[in-house]
Amino acid sequence: MTYYLTTLLVYAAVDVLACLAISLQFGYSGIVNFSFIIFQAAGAYTAAVLSLPKDTANGGFQTYVLGLHLPFPVPWIGAIIVGALLAPPIGLVVLRRLRSDYQAIAMLVISVIASLMITNTPAFLDGAAGLSLVPQPLSDIFNPYSQSYLWVYAIGGIVVAAIIFVVVQRIINSPYGRSLRAMRENELAAGALGKNAVALKMTVFVVGGAIAALSGAILVGFITTWAPSTWLYPETLILFAAVIVGGRGNNYGAVLGALLVPVGFEEATRYLPPFGPPGLIPAIEWVCIGGLILGFLWFRPRGVIPERRRIFAPAKPAAVLEESGAGRH
Amino acid sequence: MSLIVAALGFGLVSMSIIAIAAVGFTMQFGITNMINLAYGQVMIASAYAAYALNSRGVSIWLSLLAGAVFGAVFSFILNRLVYAPFQRKGTNLIGMVIISLAVSLVIANVLLPIVGYYSVSYHLNPGPTIHAGSIALTGVQLAIIGVAVVTMLVIHALLRFTRLGKAMRATAANPTLARNCGIPTSRVIDLAWLITGALCGIAGVVAGMNSDSFSVASGSEFLIPIIAASVLGGAGHPYGAMIGAVIIGEMTEISAAIISPEYKQVAAFVALVLVMVLRPQGLLAKRGALAAAG
Repeated sequence: MTYYLTTLLVYAAVDVLACLAISLQFGYSGIVNFSFIIFQAAGAYTAAVLSLPKDTANGGFQTYVLGLHLPFPVPWIGAIIVGALLAPPIGLVVLRRLRSDYQAIAMLVISVIASLMITNTPAFLDGAAGLSLVPQPLSDIFNPYSQSYLWVYAIGGIVVAAIIFVVVQRIINSPYGRSLRAMRENELAAGALGKNAVALKMTVFVVGGAIAALSGAILVGFITTWAPSTWLYPETLILFAAVIVGGRGNNYGAVLGALLVPVGFEEATRYLPPFGPPGLIPAIEWVCIGGLILGFLWFRPRGVIPERRRIFAPAKPAAVLEESGAGRH
Repeated sequence: MSLIVAALGFGLVSMSIIAIAAVGFTMQFGITNMINLAYGQVMIASAYAAYALNSRGVSIWLSLLAGAVFGAVFSFILNRLVYAPFQRKGTNLIGMVIISLAVSLVIANVLLPIVGYYSVSYHLNPGPTIHAGSIALTGVQLAIIGVAVVTMLVIHALLRFTRLGKAMRATAANPTLARNCGIPTSRVIDLAWLITGALCGIAGVVAGMNSDSFSVASGSEFLIPIIAASVLGGAGHPYGAMIGAVIIGEMTEISAAIISPEYKQVAAFVALVLVMVLRPQGLLAKRGALAAAG
C-alpha cells in the first residue's frame, strides 16, 4: 500500500513538472515542442549514467558510457544541465526561420530519430534493453526499500514540483511573461515592438528542457530503469493532452491536467478487469487520449480552467499598446 | 563499388515509393494549407485494406487498386469529418498539427486490435530478377517503378492540362480569389482529398510490396522520408516533391549500403536538417516552410 501510494505521488510530481514545462512552452509561448519527451529522456539517462557504477560492475550485463557513481545531488544537477544544453542545438535548427507548424513536425521527426538512434547504438546507453539497477539517491546511506525512504522520496518530489510551480508562475507573471504571451498571440506585432522572438523562444526552450530533464531524473531515481520504450513520441502527446484538457496558458490548469490525464488514466485502467486480447486496453487508452484532444479542442478549446482574461487599466498609451495583443484569445 | 551501384538500383525503387507518397502529402498541404501527420497511418490502413483482399486470393494488382480506392475514401471522410470542421472553426496551423497527430494516434490504435500486432506480407510472385550490371531488381520492384512513373505522368497531366488541375492550382495559390473567380473551391478541395488519398493508398500498398513485411508500427516510419522529400522540394510543390523523392530515395539506400540499414531514416533526417538550416523554403517553392515573418 505504501509502495502504491508513494509511486502514485512520484508519478504525479513528475507529470506535474512535465506539464508545467509544456505549459510554459506551449501554453504561454506557443511553441509546439513535439520532441519534449527526449528532454525528459536525456535527464533520466544522464542521472542514470552519473549515478551508476562502471558498466563492468554488475557482471557487465549492460553497456553504457560514463558510469561515474557520483553522490546524490550531482546526477540531478547533471541532468538539469544536459537538458538545458540539449535545447540550443535543436532550437537553433528548428525555431529560427520555420513556420510554426513546420517547427512542430521537425521536432516530431527529431523525437522519432532520437529514439531510433539510441535503440540502434547499444554501446551508448544499452540500446533497446535500456538501463536498469540505477541506484536510488542516497541509497548508500538509507535503505531505499524502507517505507520512510519511499515517503521521503515522494514528498521530496512534490516539494520540487511545488518549487518549480512557483518559479514558472514568477516567470509568466513578470514583464518577461507578458512578452511571451505577446509573441504567442502575434509574433509579427511583438517583433515590431522590439521583442526578439527567436531569443524569447530559445530561452523558454532551454528552461523547459531543464525542467523536463529534472522530471526525468526524479522518475529514474525512483523506478531505477529507463529504456527507449518509455519515451516514444506519443508520450509527448499525452502531456499535450493534459495541458489542453487542464487549460492552455494557465499553470493551475496544467497541474489539474497532469493529475487528470497521465495519472488518472494509469489509475483508471489499473482497476479494469483484463479483457480482450493482450494490448487491447493500451490501444483503447491511446484512442481515448486522441479523442480527448479532439473533443476538448472542439468543445472546450480553452480547457477546464481557462486562461485568466487579463484586463489592463489604460494607464499609459505605451503600456496599452504592448498589452492589447496579449489578453485576447 | 558494385555495392553502391546496387544501392543505386534499390534507390530507384525507394524513390518511386517516396515520390508517390510525397506528391500526395505535399498536394494536401498545398491545397488545404495543413500538414496531415495522419498520412503515414492512412498509408498503412490502405496497405492493410489491400492485404485483406490479397490474403483471400485476390491478385496483388487488383488489391493495389482497392488500396487506392480505400485511401481516397478514407482521406475524403477524414477531411469531411475532422479536418474541415476544425478549419471552418478557425483553428490555427499549430492546432491543426496537433489535431492531425491525435488523429494518427487514433487510427493506429483502432487498427491495432483489428489487424493484430504481427507483421504481415503480401502474397505475390516476385517475378524474375533482372540484372543490369550490378543492379538487380525483381519484377515486382520494376513494376513499382512503373507504377510511380505512370502516377507521376497522370498527376502532371492533371495539373497542367485539365480544368480541374487549373482550379486546384488556383485554389492552392489563393483560395479566396479562386472562389471569387467562380471556382467551386469546396468541391475542388473534396476532389483534392480524393486524389491525394488515392496516392496515399497506392504508396502504402507499394511500400508494403517492397518491404518483406509491414505492421501498424511502420506508419510513423513511412512518414520521415516523406516529410523530408516534401520539405526538400518545397512544401506544397508537387514537382519539388518528385525531385525531393529522388534525392531522399538515393540517399537512404546509399547510406544503408555504406553505413548500416538501421540508419536509413537517419540519412533522410540529416537531409531534412540541412534543408531546414540552409534553405527552409525548399528547392522550388518561394515560401515553403519559411515563416511568414522571416
